Amino acid sequence: MRQRPTGYGSRVNKTMHIVVVGLNYRSAPIELREKLAFTSEQLPQALARLRVEMGLRESAILSTCNRIEIYAGVPDWQQGIPRLQHFLSSHGRLDHHLVTSRCYQTAEPGSVQHLFAVASGLDSMVLGESEILHQVKRAYAVAKEAGSTGKVFNVLFQRAFNAAKAVRSQTAIGQGCASIATLAVELSEKIFGRLNRATVVLVGAGKIGEATLKHLVARGASRLRIVNRTADRIQSLAQSYAASLVSLDQLQDQLLDADIVISSATAPAYLLRQTDIAQAMRTRHHRPLCLIDLGLPRNIDPASGRMDNVYLFNIDDLQELITQTYQQREASLSHSRAILHAKVEHFLRWWTNERSRCTPHVPSVSELVAVP
Amino acid sequence: MLTWHTVCSWLSYVAFLVAFGSGLLFLLQERQIKRKRMGALFHRLPSLGALDRVNLLAIGLGFGLLSLGVFYGILGQRTLLGRWWVDDPKVYLTLLLWSGYFLLFLVRLRSTLRGRPVALLSILGFSLVLFTCLGAGWLLASRHPYKVADASTAHRLRIAGQ
Repeated sequence: MRQRPTGYGSRVNKTMHIVVVGLNYRSAPIELREKLAFTSEQLPQALARLRVEMGLRESAILSTCNRIEIYAGVPDWQQGIPRLQHFLSSHGRLDHHLVTSRCYQTAEPGSVQHLFAVASGLDSMVLGESEILHQVKRAYAVAKEAGSTGKVFNVLFQRAFNAAKAVRSQTAIGQGCASIATLAVELSEKIFGRLNRATVVLVGAGKIGEATLKHLVARGASRLRIVNRTADRIQSLAQSYAASLVSLDQLQDQLLDADIVISSATAPAYLLRQTDIAQAMRTRHHRPLCLIDLGLPRNIDPASGRMDNVYLFNIDDLQELITQTYQQREASLSHSRAILHAKVEHFLRWWTNERSRCTPHVPSVSELVAVP
Repeated sequence: MLTWHTVCSWLSYVAFLVAFGSGLLFLLQERQIKRKRMGALFHRLPSLGALDRVNLLAIGLGFGLLSLGVFYGILGQRTLLGRWWVDDPKVYLTLLLWSGYFLLFLVRLRSTLRGRPVALLSILGFSLVLFTCLGAGWLLASRHPYKVADASTAHRLRIAGQ
């Protein structure tokens, strides 16, 4: 007999409940999360176990650095949830009570609301971050590939992606940057446009400076120079980014070519004074210059930020912009939740209709009596 | 000849409108960046680099089209009125406009000025465009465009000009 396909056309199990069992950065410390995490190689096997050992036709596992969650369609949620908790603890080879004490679990509508909120970044550590949507999409793709999704989960996840898209496009939840490195990149892009022709000069080898350089490279910047007092310390950094090394006394000359200067050196006095920058601006025909001063004490004279075509940001400016981003995102939280609420209701209505269509018609006593 | 004069002149005004728009958006975006504000406007507006490029292109194109418009205008005037120069406020304003945009194009091309000052001058330049285009007819006693109904009117205009 031909097996029933598990796509959109398959039947809905009228007794199924959608449940979620999991741990996240709020409920469990990293030491516990890292033991329970599923690697990408383990996922198909784990999904097969859920299907074969627990008899779950529909399930998906979301495993990221901040959360491990199992979404499953179970016939009885009161029995299904403890079995899923046991599945988790056995996967991590951990004490069952330890896992259950850190777990959260819910059946629909709470589980549907949770998935929609997770996909939209509303439940993320960094509110509104977009990476989680890609991770949920990957979790769904793996489950579908493993044959662990049916009609309900296909619709559920597609609706979750749709809800996330609506939230991101209709609110400011995903706007702005939440880290200094990504913020510096966004500001540079708003000054220069595409960064593939931009010359980036990194002064000093601080961690934030390096992270900023990494993000700029990821956005296409390829002309890189690294300036430091001692070349030995940054040799490996220059090699890993194919950047040229420049000594500190050549910094003034570098201003003539540079588009973006990231300075994170420790220096008792300004490395770049306003007069140096003003002179460089005249020589470079007033081409825009973006200066990102991550040094403490500051490496660049703050008065240079008042010059035309010079855009200076120090660590306080960047922190202030990050605060603004958080405020904007938090301000749009209620609007985002309202959108999600409508989307969850829409999904639940669909599911109720599907389940009622599958329920066989049982004639009432009066109907039976009326039959001649 | 006069059709080309009209078409080139109006197209140059459209290009100067684009320069005005890009200049205005440049100032708005620069204000957001300089004041360290990342509101909705910051995210929606294009980069300063893109706005600066559009501004330069629009000024260059507008200046070229205006030059063609002036050239065809002088030729048409010669054909219609029989002389190269007409003593009219609009002609003087156009000359001022042409010189202004010539200087603006030159300083931007040579990068003597860039960014905010050019954006401000684009806005100022367009206000002169508006005045030349609309204000000259209403506020100053300009006879431009010279409506010549028949040959006898043209003859009278030629005599008046001599």
